[in-house]
Order: sequence, then structure tokens, then C-alpha cells
Amino acid sequence: MKRQIPALGSLLVVAAVLCLLPFILSDYDVSLAAQVGIFFIAVLGLNILTGYTGQISIGHGAFMMIGGYTTAVMSRDHGTNLVVTMLMAFAICFVVGLLVGLPALRLSGVYLALVTFALAVSLPYIPLQYSTFLGGSGGVQSAQTVSNLWVYTAAWACSAVLFVLAWLILRGRTGRAFRAVRDSEIAAVASGVELPVYKTLAFGISAAYAGVAGSLFVLAANGFAQPSEFDIFLSLQILIGAAVAGLGSLWGILIGAAFVGLLPQVSTSIPLIGAQHGRDVVFGAAVILIMLLLPDGFAGLLARLRRPTRARA
Amino acid sequence: MAMNRRKLAILIVGLLATAAVAGTAGASRTSTPGVTSKQITIGGTFPFTGPASLYKTIPAAELAFYKYVNAKYHGVHGRKINDIALDDGYNPAQTVPDVKKLVEQDHVFAIVGSLGTAPGLSTWGYLNQHKVPQVLLATGDAYWGNCVHHACQGGTKPWTMGWQPDYPGEAKLYAKYILKHKNNAKIGVLYQNDAFGKNYLAGLKTGLGAHKGDIVDAESYSVTDPGPVIQAHVGKIAASGANVFVIFATPTAAITALATEGHIPGWNPLTINSNVSANRLFMGLAAQNGANVNGVLSTTYVASQSAQPNLPGMKLAKKIIHKYAPNGVGTLDGQFATGDNNLVYGLAVGWTFWDALKHAGKNPTRAGLMHALRHMNEKNNPFIYPGMVVKTSNKRTFPMEQLIFEKWAGGGAGDWKTFGKVLNSGH
Repeated sequence: MKRQIPALGSLLVVAAVLCLLPFILSDYDVSLAAQVGIFFIAVLGLNILTGYTGQISIGHGAFMMIGGYTTAVMSRDHGTNLVVTMLMAFAICFVVGLLVGLPALRLSGVYLALVTFALAVSLPYIPLQYSTFLGGSGGVQSAQTVSNLWVYTAAWACSAVLFVLAWLILRGRTGRAFRAVRDSEIAAVASGVELPVYKTLAFGISAAYAGVAGSLFVLAANGFAQPSEFDIFLSLQILIGAAVAGLGSLWGILIGAAFVGLLPQVSTSIPLIGAQHGRDVVFGAAVILIMLLLPDGFAGLLARLRRPTRARA
Repeated sequence: MAMNRRKLAILIVGLLATAAVAGTAGASRTSTPGVTSKQITIGGTFPFTGPASLYKTIPAAELAFYKYVNAKYHGVHGRKINDIALDDGYNPAQTVPDVKKLVEQDHVFAIVGSLGTAPGLSTWGYLNQHKVPQVLLATGDAYWGNCVHHACQGGTKPWTMGWQPDYPGEAKLYAKYILKHKNNAKIGVLYQNDAFGKNYLAGLKTGLGAHKGDIVDAESYSVTDPGPVIQAHVGKIAASGANVFVIFATPTAAITALATEGHIPGWNPLTINSNVSANRLFMGLAAQNGANVNGVLSTTYVASQSAQPNLPGMKLAKKIIHKYAPNGVGTLDGQFATGDNNLVYGLAVGWTFWDALKHAGKNPTRAGLMHALRHMNEKNNPFIYPGMVVKTSNKRTFPMEQLIFEKWAGGGAGDWKTFGKVLNSGH
């Protein structure tokens, strides 16, 4: 993703496998594969912000919530075409992301992380306050609902489009500016990078991605949006997905998304510890292990594995 | 690159072949999901962990009851009942994938006894759309009965059904009691800030009618709030001068609230603890933490193993819990002895399901189960309060509509004592 299109071959393989999966998997497994697609989009978005621009967000669940509610409410009130609601989710979250990006101009590192954390913690209380419009704790049910296959197709089609979009953004001027900001803000400013523009832009793009993921997340839950679906754990899931993924590798993001998308489902089958404990223990352990062993995530690992073979050839 | 292309071609051919095989394998399907000649598979979601995990003995008792029925009566019409209880931690975000897994992967016949209002709401749209029974829910929200014939959240919900008396009906009885026994009542309410808590609060307000203004303070908490937050709310209620303290909370918060009340000097309100947290075990825990439990008021609809140990139903309950405890013989005996009434609740729900399944006929279908559940007249459920009845019809959509008041006496080692007549809590 950094310099050229990541080996066209692997892209084709991934695309082919994704096209064929629905024929092989059971309907339920298709819904799991759709979850992976949804987290792929969210992790990809966070990768742009954290990986390329060096700004940490532990509140991306909030943007997913905004996207999800956009879809649910528009469908409930106007029966809007679901694809249109996804585009709206993208647009609304882009704007909200730009606004949330403003504190990023003054804060950095852990302080910025705390702002995003506060956002993710407080946002689920908004529907409780405006319960006629946002359904309160009872939630919002969309007018249209879709099949697992629909969500799967939509999730991976969006993944493809947004992946290419990310590649286009990151390979050119904007991507260079993002990386310059990450590596040294002072040097970036000295080279003529307009810091406020690029920092907020990164937030906007990243939030927009999360918004689309949130829209799909709600559709995967049969079109039902409820505040408690978007608790702080969702934000952590995305963050963990990004940590597992590492920077700028298609395979890394796939692995990261699969990890956080599948684990909650798989862990329900662990008999003794149960879903919640199983999930928390496995996530916690995985994060510690990955930070120790693979500080650059799977992307770093893949790069390390690739290097010796190239040297030999 | 040539090598890569060849690999790719092989991969695609391989995948296509697998797809073809999988396609033919999926072709044969039985008529009713979850029902084979030997077994009926059902499922449910429960908080084995998380903020409401004190309820985890409910699924344990249900599993024990099905084991008992399978051993003693060979299940129903020769089919054993197989119940898959999954943990959702009282978190709807986990309920959704759990229920999808039960329906789409385990192909359960029905979702039975699932616990929690928010978890139930997060999946009822899905289950009704797929015409999967979502029945005998362990939550008393009015939704479960009101939305059978009236559209709620995008449509009627004929496949959904509760079991226990509904919360607004229960709260109305408390309102009546307050109006009758407390002059110049100043009511302080602690309620959970979700559909569950709001259902209760709405019922209380309806019941108070013109005296709605007697509520001087209504404090809401979130189910994930830590203890100090609950304590702060209780402190505020005390400061408001309330002389009636009504608790509409899940067990952990209710225990904290009772204990906090005990620690506030000079505050001795008439305390009402809704029956979802009135388990004897929870009252004991509250007393251990400093609650003044004597005189606390609540209601009940199941029999009590500690107060009515000689009822045939309670003797049977003791036997079943001892012998068929899911984790091995005797593992729940201590829990039963301390008076964990949720065990009796679980048995009662299991009994109703067993009863309905018998009436659903030799070849049960999902529609047949719903028909049986909507035409119950269960006078002999051994685990509910003597004299009460589980009854449904097309019009009567709440299976239980009776409650009896109870008051706590005897301190930490004491117990509930019911008083008055069996009351109608229905609509």
C-alpha cells in the first residue's frame, strides 16, 4: 500500500476467495465473514489515522455508532435506500470526524487519546436523552432488513472501494503529508505542510470509514441499533484490530479484522470461561503478546519474513 | 508471476469443487429446525458473566429441569430436550451474535427463557422476522405481551412471549400500597436507565395517578456503573427527604442500594425492592453489607424453598437441583439452601416449556409451539406460588398476572413473609 499496489497477485487471490466464499460457507459462516469485512473497513480507517498520521484514537466506536444510527434512523423514518444511508453515514462521520479532529490540533499523544475515549464513553448516552428521535435504550429498528449475504457483499464491496480510495489518498501528496506529520510535526511544518488541514483531514477520513463500518454493523444486527451495542469495548476492538494488523499491509489488516471480528463469536463456544471472560482474557493476552513479539503487528512480521527471500533471489 | 497465476488457477478450481460439494450437501434439510426423531434442541442467552451475573442460576435450574425430564419421562413424546445456554454477559452487542449462532448454526427449534430486556429487544426483530419462537423470556417488560397484536418497532411480534408478571403491573401494585399505607408520601426512586427500569417507573407513575407528584426524586443509573455511583444516587435520594424508597434495579445495584440506605444515619424510609432483585440470597448479601433489611417490601410469584419447604413442589425442586445440577450432583445444593429463589424460577419456566411442548403434539412445529403457548391453562405448575396460575389466550398475552406481597423479617438470616391475598397484576 505504501509504494505500489500491493502485489497485484495477492489482491486478486483475496478477491477471488471472497467471491467464492458465499458458495462454500453456510449462511451463518457468511455472517461471520461479513463481520470480518466490517472490521476490515474500521481497522483500515484507523490505520490511516494512527498508522499514517500518528494520531491515536481509542474512540472509533463512537463514529461507528453515528454511522449505525444514521442508517437505522433514515431507514425507520424515510425508508431510505440502505446504500444511500451508507453514503450518508460516510458523509456525516466525515464532518463529525473533522470536528473531533480540532482538539487534535492542540493535543497529542495520550491527551488526544483521552479526548476520543471520552467521546466513545459519552456518546451512547445521547440516545437516552433524545429517546423519541433516537429510540432511547429501546433502540431503533430499521424499516428494511437484509440477508447475511447482502451484508457480506456490501461489506466486502465497500472494503474494496475504500481500500482503493485509501491507496489513492496515501500514495500521493496527501499521504506524504500525513507521514510527514507522523514523523515530525516541526519538520512537516517547515516543509510547508499545513498541519491543521492534514490533521483534521486524517480524522475526517478515518471517521468516515468507521461510519460506513457502523452502518454495516447495524445492518448485520438485523437493522437494530441500540446504545449498548456501541460500548467502549467496540472501540477497543478496532484499536486491537489495528495493533494486530500493523501498518500498511493488506494481509495485516485482514488478519487484524479477522481476529477482532471472529473472536467474540468463537469465544462463546469456550465452555467454562464463557463469552465475556473468554473474550476479555484472549484479547488481553493477545495484545500483550503482540506488543511484545510483533511490535509492528502482522504487517511487520510479513515484511520480516519477506526480506530474506528477496535477499536470496 | 507465471507461477503465481498457475497457483491461482489451481486455487480457484479447488474452491469451485468444494463449493459444488458443499452445495449438494446443504440440499437435504428436515422440515422443522431443531427437531429430530430423538431430540429437540432449544437455546437461550443468559448473563453467566457481567453486571447481571447473579442471575446465572436461572439457566442452571432450567438445564437441571430438562435433564430431569429427559431422565424420568424420556423428554417429550420420546424426544429429549437439549438446551444450549450461551453467555451474553447482559450485553446486547453479544446477544445478537449469540442468537444468530443459535438460529443459523445450531438450528435451534426455539429461543427459550433468554434473560434481559435490552438483550431481548436487540433480537426480537430478527427472531420474529425468521419466525423463530422467542418465548418465556426472563424479563417482565410490557413489550412482550403488548406487541403481540400491536405493532412495536416496525411490526407486531407474535413470536415473542414473556412469562413472569409484567413490570408496570407490579409497579402499579406498589403505587396502590403506598397510597393506602403512607400519608404524605415522598417517594424516591432508583431505576436502571434502560427499557427495564423505565417500564417500572412508568408503571409506578400510572399507579400513583394524581399523586404522581409524590415522587420527589427519581435517580437513574447505568447497569455498568460501579458501586460508588449507585451510592451517590442513594445519597441524593436520602437528601431529597424521601420517606419511601423504591428500587427498580438489577441485583448488584439493588444490593448496593439497600446497603447504602443502611449506612445513612437517621434515614428509615419504607423500602420497596422490586421482585427481580428480591431473591433471599440477595437480601442476605445486602444485610451482610450493612442493609437494614427488616420491613423491606416486595412481591413474589414463585414458591419459596426456604419459607415453604414442605410444599410438594419445593421437595421436588430440592431433589431436581441436587441430582441434575449441570455441573454435577450436589453442586447447587448450597445455593439452593441459602434460598436462591432464581433456582425455583428456572424450574418453573422449564416446567411451563415442557408443558407447552407436550401440548404442541407429536410432531411439533414452531407454529404449533406458539399455539400451545398461547392456549395454556397451567394450574399445576409445582414451582409457582400456590394458588396462582399460568394462563394464556389469544387475548391474554401475559402468562402470569398474579403477585402476592411479601415483607422481610428476621434480619440477615431472616426471610420473606407473604401477606394478604394473591393479587391481580394484569391489565
